[in-house]
Amino acid sequence: MEERTWYMGRPTLGSQVMCDNIPGLVNKQRQLCHQHPNMMQSIGVGITEWIRECQHQFQHHRWNCSTMARDHTLFGRVLLRSSREAAFVYAISSAGVVYSLTRACSQGELESCSCDPKKKGSSRDSKGTFDWGGCSDNIDYGIQFAQAFVDARERKERDARALMNLHNNRAGRKAVKRFLKLECKCHGVSGSCTVRTCWLAMADFRKTGDYLRRKYNGAIQVVMNQYGTGFTVAYKKLKKPTKNDLVYFENSPDYCIRDLEAGSLGTAGRICNLTSRGVDSCEVMCCGRGYDTASVSRMTQCECKFHWCCAVHCKDCHEVVDVQTCKALKNIDWLDQT
Amino acid sequence: MSTKKLVIVGVILVIFQVFSFLVGGLIAPSPTSAVHYLATKCVDVRKHHQNSTWFMPWGPNQCEKIRDFDEAMIKKIEANEIVFAVHIPLPNNEMSPWFQFMLFILQFDIAFKMGNQIEEGAVVTIDVSLAYRDDTFSKWTEMAHSIEQRKLSCNFSTPKTHEYEGRHYECDLLPFMELGSVAHKYYLINMRLPVNERKKINVGIGEIKDIRLVGIHQNGGFTKVWFAVKTFLTPSILIIMIWYWRRITLMTRPPVLLEKVIFALGISMTFINIPVEWFSVGFNWTWMLLFGDIRQGIFYAMLLSFWIIFCGEHLMDQTERNRFGVYWKQVGPIVFGSFCLFIFDMCERGVQLKNPFYSIWASDLGTELANLQMAFIIVAGICACLYFLFLCFMVFQVFRNISGKRTSLPAMSKARRLHYEGLIFRFKFLMLITLACAALTVIFFIISQVNEGHWHWAGYTVQVNSAFFTGIYGMWNLYVFAIMFLYAPSHKRYGDDQSNAGDLGVNSGEEIQLTTTITHVDGPTEIYRMTGKESQE
Repeated sequence: MEERTWYMGRPTLGSQVMCDNIPGLVNKQRQLCHQHPNMMQSIGVGITEWIRECQHQFQHHRWNCSTMARDHTLFGRVLLRSSREAAFVYAISSAGVVYSLTRACSQGELESCSCDPKKKGSSRDSKGTFDWGGCSDNIDYGIQFAQAFVDARERKERDARALMNLHNNRAGRKAVKRFLKLECKCHGVSGSCTVRTCWLAMADFRKTGDYLRRKYNGAIQVVMNQYGTGFTVAYKKLKKPTKNDLVYFENSPDYCIRDLEAGSLGTAGRICNLTSRGVDSCEVMCCGRGYDTASVSRMTQCECKFHWCCAVHCKDCHEVVDVQTCKALKNIDWLDQT
Repeated sequence: MSTKKLVIVGVILVIFQVFSFLVGGLIAPSPTSAVHYLATKCVDVRKHHQNSTWFMPWGPNQCEKIRDFDEAMIKKIEANEIVFAVHIPLPNNEMSPWFQFMLFILQFDIAFKMGNQIEEGAVVTIDVSLAYRDDTFSKWTEMAHSIEQRKLSCNFSTPKTHEYEGRHYECDLLPFMELGSVAHKYYLINMRLPVNERKKINVGIGEIKDIRLVGIHQNGGFTKVWFAVKTFLTPSILIIMIWYWRRITLMTRPPVLLEKVIFALGISMTFINIPVEWFSVGFNWTWMLLFGDIRQGIFYAMLLSFWIIFCGEHLMDQTERNRFGVYWKQVGPIVFGSFCLFIFDMCERGVQLKNPFYSIWASDLGTELANLQMAFIIVAGICACLYFLFLCFMVFQVFRNISGKRTSLPAMSKARRLHYEGLIFRFKFLMLITLACAALTVIFFIISQVNEGHWHWAGYTVQVNSAFFTGIYGMWNLYVFAIMFLYAPSHKRYGDDQSNAGDLGVNSGEEIQLTTTITHVDGPTEIYRMTGKESQE
């Protein structure tokens, strides 16, 4: 899984050194890394972006997509379990890679991006294709490369988990494709529409995140079919998963207490919302362990005047707020202290 | 001309028609392509901007970049120090003169922030400069520099609450730049969005995340095929035109109005055909785009006038026609409308020769000028409506007269009857092929607009848009060709004119031959000889 490629955004290293030192790449991925060292940097950027998106989507949940510091597997053991959360992480990460590759492509950061003659199977060199008929869309390229790279890991062994990951990766890529917007421009004589050019534009990543979040809610629990080639639904009542749906095998832990084996960080110390009745309410978030209320006085910025970038002129305001944080389980605290 | 010959000509025309569609559909790539560019955010580290430097987004000597504006915030970089750089084309490619033109669309990615929303009627002021070079190591040469204003029109579909912060606005595409020739290999755009709070420049435009450009250019392959088609069509129309005019001069009578108009149509078609675009490959002629527009405009005006005059000449009322002055009422709106479009085009493309960033839709002189431009378009539109009303009215009149004449035909003398039958036939024939051509044009236009641009069929990719352009272009050429060919005066007995002028008796002696020829298209030319004679009388 490409979250192990966390260290990649270091352009100073030569591609040889860089690719060989990224932990957790399979052979095929290492090969791609050697071929396209620039890609790896963009993929690295993509990772930060999708993790940010994941954390935004789950900010009010017990499982908040938090990454483990000092751990190159990033999500600890969350992903070892074939849970709903793992399904979401795979989907959004593959979407994030598509997204960042496409961006990098149009920013000119990738050497051979949409005009890659090898992809088209034509004998023309890249200059020839560009002069003759333009290049294929960046997004197609992003999707193709993301597929080659991300799926490479699962292609190694074909067990049930690999099938699940492949399915969710594809769902993620499809989610990006879903929000492509067709935009057109007329530029004939006097601006008439005799000549019209259309292209696909990518919407902002939040839309993909929102969509995948809804798919997470409706994820379908499946079991392998008896031939080991595909899925059947775990419960008869559920509908058959489509290519857009997320699938998972195992139930999730409740993420209430810290249990690294199960991939749960626990909710001790998390801020909860006293007035809410949803998942971020103190009742739910703290799993009934109760919460501490602390009065915090802080300086905030108010009456701000913004520029389009970088400059904010604000007044400092003083405010006192009550913050509720979840209590930890007593005995766990005790265990931790020893 | 015999029926056999006519069929042969018809078949040849149809073959050429199919051929012209296939050339576009199978050989040519799609007419244009769009390339996405995402502006790189460079930091201008110099303290004073005295000499202009160019900021390269990638490659050697690339600028100091930041990934996003959070980074700028941390590093305390100000808005005025940020330069958006776009290199055209993307790495490993070169632009080529075969691309003919380039136009750019500007799009802002603006994130919604509760405290920093886009104000009503917000205008972005862009300090933009364009440079070129022809190899990868020499210095950039400035091509244009301008301070442009673009009006933001963005909407936010979700409710404007804290919950939805960070989502992007949906903004309309903004016209950015248009180049009439692509003479250089590499181009570089540097943009700044200077902030001046006192002068209210670039204030209240929201939190800009990214600037995206979409570059549209004609495909080199399409240009080549297009030139080839033009080069092939030019001599064929030229030859038939010379042949046609020779036929007319061979007659003793002076050419009638309709013949002159057909000839003028041929000239305008040749004018549009002559492949002067070949020069644009070698020379940096930025006005080629404008020139192409003008040529097209002349042809359209000519074609529309031709239809009016053709209808008028077949009205079969007894008024004296055959003079251009009679048609001023109908041709006037055409000329006037075309003139308005010409002015409009001059205002956009003409000004763009000087300042490629100019767009009348986002004119910096404010809405007044834009309104003036709109007025031109509206006037042209009104003229078009007037024209079609006129034309429909005339066609209606012709048909009314035809049905009127039909009933009285048997009672007429044979010569008169043949004359009218000839007129009716001529008219119906032209109506038929004109309608067919117009219908084909409209159908193909709709297909090319609705369709995504290409069809996959049995392993082949058919470029519908290219087929539309070459096919329709070929079709109107064949149309003009056919009109000149079929409506040319017959040469068979042009000598008779002198001896038989005014002698109706001899004419009635030729009746049997006339009735046989009337049934095919050659008929009209015979009849024309007769009407010509009558006008001589």
